[in-house]
Amino acid sequence: MNSRNYNLNELTAGRSKSKIWPALTKLVGLLPEQRGKLIGALLIMVVYSILSMLPPALIGYTINHLIEGKINTVSTGIPDQSTWMTHLFHGSGYSLIVTVCCCLIGIYLLNLGAVYWRTILMGGFGQHLLYTLRNAVFNKLQELPVAFFAQNKAGDLISRINNDTDKVNQFFSQSLMQFISSIFIIAGAGVALVYFNWRLGLLTLSPAALMWLFNKVMSKWVKKKNAASAKATGGLSAEIQESLNNFKVVLAFNRRDYFRKRFGQANTANYSSAVGAGIANSVFNPVYSLLSGLGQMVVLFYGIYLIRTGYFTPGFLVAYFMYTSSFYDPLRQLAALWAGFQVAIASWDRISHILSLDTDLVTIHESDIPAIPPGGLSVVRTGNGASAGQPPLIEFREVSFAYPGGKDVLRHNSFRMEKGKTYALVGPTGGGKTTTASLLARLYDPTAGAVILHGRDIRTYTPAERAEKIGFILQDPILFSGTVRENILYGNEKYKDGPNEQLTGVLHSSGLETLLTRFDDGLDTAVTLGGEGISLGQKQLIAFIRAVLREPELLILDEATANIDTVTEKMLEDILRRLPPTTTRVIIAHRLNTIAGADEIFFVNAGEITRAGSLDQAVDMLMEGKRVS
Amino acid sequence: MSEKRQKKAVQAGPGGKPMGPGGKPAGPGLFSILKPYRQWIILLVVLSLVSNGINLLIPNISKNAIDAFIAHRLDVDRTLLLFLSAIVGVFVFTYASSFVQTYTSERVARDLRTRLADRISRQNYSFLQKKNTGQLLTNLTSDVDSIKGFVAQAIVSIFSSIFIIIGASIFLLTIRWQLALCVIAIIPIIGFTFFIVLKKVRVLFKASREVIDTLNKVINESIIGAALIRVIHSQHLEYTKFLEANAKALGLGLRILKLFATLIPIIIFTANLATLTILAFGGHYVIAGRMTIGQFTAFNMYLTMLIFPILVIGFMSNVIAQAQASYGRIAGVLYTPDPEEGGTRVSDLKGDIDFKDVSVSYGEKMVLKDISFHIHGGSKTAVIGPTAAGKTQLLYMLTSLSHPTRGTIEFDGYPLDGYRKDDFHRQVGFVFQDSILFNLSIRENIAFSDNVSDESLKKAIATAELTAFIDELPEGIDTVVSERGTTLSGGQKQRIMLARALALDPRVLLLDDFTARVDNQTEKKILENVRANYPGITLLSVTQKIASIEDFEQIILLMEGEMIAMGTHAQLMQTCPEYVQIYQSQKSTSHYEQPELQS
Repeated sequence: MNSRNYNLNELTAGRSKSKIWPALTKLVGLLPEQRGKLIGALLIMVVYSILSMLPPALIGYTINHLIEGKINTVSTGIPDQSTWMTHLFHGSGYSLIVTVCCCLIGIYLLNLGAVYWRTILMGGFGQHLLYTLRNAVFNKLQELPVAFFAQNKAGDLISRINNDTDKVNQFFSQSLMQFISSIFIIAGAGVALVYFNWRLGLLTLSPAALMWLFNKVMSKWVKKKNAASAKATGGLSAEIQESLNNFKVVLAFNRRDYFRKRFGQANTANYSSAVGAGIANSVFNPVYSLLSGLGQMVVLFYGIYLIRTGYFTPGFLVAYFMYTSSFYDPLRQLAALWAGFQVAIASWDRISHILSLDTDLVTIHESDIPAIPPGGLSVVRTGNGASAGQPPLIEFREVSFAYPGGKDVLRHNSFRMEKGKTYALVGPTGGGKTTTASLLARLYDPTAGAVILHGRDIRTYTPAERAEKIGFILQDPILFSGTVRENILYGNEKYKDGPNEQLTGVLHSSGLETLLTRFDDGLDTAVTLGGEGISLGQKQLIAFIRAVLREPELLILDEATANIDTVTEKMLEDILRRLPPTTTRVIIAHRLNTIAGADEIFFVNAGEITRAGSLDQAVDMLMEGKRVS
Repeated sequence: MSEKRQKKAVQAGPGGKPMGPGGKPAGPGLFSILKPYRQWIILLVVLSLVSNGINLLIPNISKNAIDAFIAHRLDVDRTLLLFLSAIVGVFVFTYASSFVQTYTSERVARDLRTRLADRISRQNYSFLQKKNTGQLLTNLTSDVDSIKGFVAQAIVSIFSSIFIIIGASIFLLTIRWQLALCVIAIIPIIGFTFFIVLKKVRVLFKASREVIDTLNKVINESIIGAALIRVIHSQHLEYTKFLEANAKALGLGLRILKLFATLIPIIIFTANLATLTILAFGGHYVIAGRMTIGQFTAFNMYLTMLIFPILVIGFMSNVIAQAQASYGRIAGVLYTPDPEEGGTRVSDLKGDIDFKDVSVSYGEKMVLKDISFHIHGGSKTAVIGPTAAGKTQLLYMLTSLSHPTRGTIEFDGYPLDGYRKDDFHRQVGFVFQDSILFNLSIRENIAFSDNVSDESLKKAIATAELTAFIDELPEGIDTVVSERGTTLSGGQKQRIMLARALALDPRVLLLDDFTARVDNQTEKKILENVRANYPGITLLSVTQKIASIEDFEQIILLMEGEMIAMGTHAQLMQTCPEYVQIYQSQKSTSHYEQPELQS
């Protein structure tokens, strides 16, 4: 058994592209409470499209009456669907025009209201959908385990999420409403075209069938091109980020040409895929206007033919021109939006990859775990007998671990750590010390065996309980933009909202206060995400204070003081000593003096965690380990 | 219907606030970018004008056909041919113009990116620190995109829109000018309403872009800080941050929506009133026999053509404003002068290094104060001192990553600036404190410089004690390292960095806290290897561990930017209390390291 694969590029590789409809319904499924808005908007759009179809018919009817007598072809026996209008409008000549105009004003005023409410409801729905989607993505990001972030490039991930949510963003906040209302208008115009004269109507609509066919044939290709372009854009920004972040190496090794060359490659790749996508996207508009022109041509010539044969009236020819543009203009807009829609769908596809991932670090119920025999304990029990009575704080039972696709880092290891003691993990670089620590803090789950905290499988603790009990100072200190104060109180509910005095008091009593003198403006020193302007040692100090202030039961320091000078480090040791007597410390360090005070030392190498009796023995093991390898 | 919004920063870096649009761009203006593509843009405009011109003719053809039909003198074949050739013409020219449009805009974007990258690549490290990565990333991605949008959409759209408005108006006026004037009156009405609403919307757009920046920042931090967030279980905190910004974005989105919800009905209603006018007055004219049915139809058709271009001009004014703002930011980078390339001296370094009264300050803050010392070529020197003492700064100056504010640095008696860069850097190897690995194979990461022979590569790998590790990898030396080296341990990364520096066969080797992540055993071995494989190399090592530098010829103690003492281990133990203090803090374990020294 291996831990789960979270590499998005690998996961995407074999996956077929998702269909549009399921994607859409899934999106709408995200917010059931907004469904009322959506239904309201759709109803209004139906009303609006019916209202919009009336004026051309009225105008056509009026024209027929205007020219009555002028042309002889408008004669008897025509199967005219507009006869109902004669019941509504009486009179002839200009009085008819006035009646119709009044009627039109009424319709237009109704339309005014309909358009307003359509925009408010539909747009509001889109905005809420967007809001929910963004929340869902962010929530998912918070839910996924460390493995997900370790397996995906930070740059690529950031670009993927920012870029893709933005693309979906653009579509939903700008085009969605037009998109949907276009569909309604098209439907209305289509119905009107067939209703008033089905022969002419169907023939007028026939180019649209070609459009549909064309779309069917092209969309796969267009989608592919857009997906390729989005990927290249991600690659480009990842490349820029990598090069810029590593700029000092580029300079120190005088490889400015390397930067240019690598960028040039990514840029060219981005260019060709963008041109490809651009050409694919722009294929629609000309074809659509051609077909819409064909539609008008049909109306003109077949319409004239029908009038000649007595199946149509000239007034409705004018109306048909209007219907044709009501049908084909939104269709062209739809085509313009279609490209954006494709882009949004491609982006949505990429986002849904992330949304479909699950954490493999779920909190499980105690009863669901098969009992794991406390095997291998004999190895541990051979320690000092005094500890046998005390239950361990945390314990490894037959723990094995492997990264996905990699070989075993740990193989069937068991050990226990007791309350209030200090443990050290030593061993050569790459031996598995950080992995061991990560398993203790449940950043990963073992591939076999179990980690037991307070006698319970660590997997049965909620993340909140676990975080409260376990503190972990990571190898690479992480700072958030803000101040030193905000950073050391990050996630600390206890002191977060207290005044500076309270905090200084706490810092003073725990001996942390002196560390703050290392910062120019003390607690108020500004810090950025990249940590520019402060040294690595200072960052480690912040991470140290942050973890200690949380008063965990188990505090893990993973080379947490590697870049701090030894004088300061001595102070840190004092602080560690002054922690409550119940605190268990696990220290990973290369500098042996850092671990000199440890109660027990574990030697971690080549899949094995072995207990060393003393520091001397650990040193021996270190040297021996070297000789063996 | 809403405004095409600028693609927002892929990653807005911390503090990467874009320069306001008020910031006057250095160098020539936005349109100067287009100069090399003049013929393409002219072609583009011509193609789109032709296609729009033909488009304008279609209602006229219909008009003539209807009138001819009513007058019983319609030549169907001729009109059909005319109509068909018109729509095919529109097709051909639209297609050609969108082809040229894609090609031109993407080329502008590509070339602009190349120019920017080229300019950035010539700058000093201080430039990058000043500009910060996030901002440059924005310049290279979304700013370029918004200029691309300008080329792709704005130029053509504005030309064709004006063309259609004028063309349609002329056609209307020639048909019946009295009615035409009534219809044309909607242009200023729609235009004015649009202008007013857009002005309000623009403010909101700006605010919402800032909120999106905040959203992205929270996302970025949550990705970079993922491990910490899980350790502390502060997901909820991050989520609250995000939710707050997201709710703000929603609020702004709804406010923008409200403005458009007022605007769109007004536009549609105005256009409908024009239809009504055409019916009322046109009908009157038709009855009076002063207008034909064909003309009446054409009026309606031109009206539908007229409305969209008005809106397009409004939208495009925004695209232009954004492109201008983006260009302002880009120009700041594009017209940064190249740093002076003064150095011409080429010589094999002996390794003598002199600091003469060197001071460095960032603004008010002094990082190094009057540092003077001499290093003998071929000797080993250590720099030791507490956090934030200025040790890394000192090394940066030796590789001209940063420059002294006062004083000079000399190599072999000649000022550092006098050396030719490529020659100098080939002789000075620098191992950075933080692990910087490229997403390349291990081979390429180590042989990062041009002129690394296989032999030097092998020697460097052996010296850095990487041979065994590399041999164990599935693809050996050609295994690709992922970004930030997440698949490697801290020590492995550090050793690859060392091998990279050694592969140059350097005369001077600068180590920045190299030993922090490498265990003592390996460290000892590596230092011995260096001694054996690179005889005569000058070593300058910034470190925390006294034990590994006791035998160094010279130890420099830095504290808070000042040089406290200098001498051998023995001398400093006699004379320098601060040094003794550091020594004492490490002493407790010294006896454990003693046997290692003998081994």
